[in-house]
Amino acid sequence: MASESDGAADRDVLRRVGEASVLILISLADGPKHGYALIRDIKELADVELGPGTLYGALDRLERLGLIAQLPAEDRRHPYRITAPGAAALRVHLDSLERVSAAGRLRLQLGGI
Amino acid sequence: MDESRATRLIATALQCYPARWQRRHGDEAAELATLLLRDGTPAASIALSYLAGAAREWLTPRPSRRLSALACALLVVACSLGVSVSVELAASAAPARAASTAARPRPHPRCPPPVPAIGHSPNIIREPVHGKDC
Repeated sequence: MASESDGAADRDVLRRVGEASVLILISLADGPKHGYALIRDIKELADVELGPGTLYGALDRLERLGLIAQLPAEDRRHPYRITAPGAAALRVHLDSLERVSAAGRLRLQLGGI
Repeated sequence: MDESRATRLIATALQCYPARWQRRHGDEAAELATLLLRDGTPAASIALSYLAGAAREWLTPRPSRRLSALACALLVVACSLGVSVSVELAASAAPARAASTAARPRPHPRCPPPVPAIGHSPNIIREPVHGKDC
């Protein structure tokens, strides 16, 4: 059990990229978006106001990791799309979050809080 | 804050990014700022976010920057080694020079002093040639 969860943690490359990067990947999961659309979508999705400086930092990091790719510019805007490794990493990360979430709920029940 | 002042503030914040970043994202970032301003996001908050992003961008190690940092570190080490060696040389040369001036070996009583060569430049001194090791 422990080794299984350790393996999952090893595969979960999104553990250390920060919340903004995960939210960007979730937003891109249903199709390519550019910066402004990402900020609006993340606000609706998670009620998180992503600052533009944070957005570009996270986009660059995700691109360096090969988890997203830049599409040809439309006007001055560059849309981004999630790559296959990005989708796989997001799946692993969401599974991990679900496990932790279920464990947390169970403990709250057991604790009677 | 009026629009032109807000735009100037954001443009200044964007200029804090490295040139490589500005080439890549500069135009789009300026346009994004305009759209956010139109939505009612305060200019100061946009500028602050870009300033923080610029600081992160400068501080994030990149492979090329890591190499140049290594080169700088090597240069600093080489310079400090060079300085310490030259200081040591100077320190060791000073007493030797002092000793050589204080106790200059006297010429051998049987050896005549070196004589300037005739027909040569007076600066060139010929070795005495009499078979004795002076």
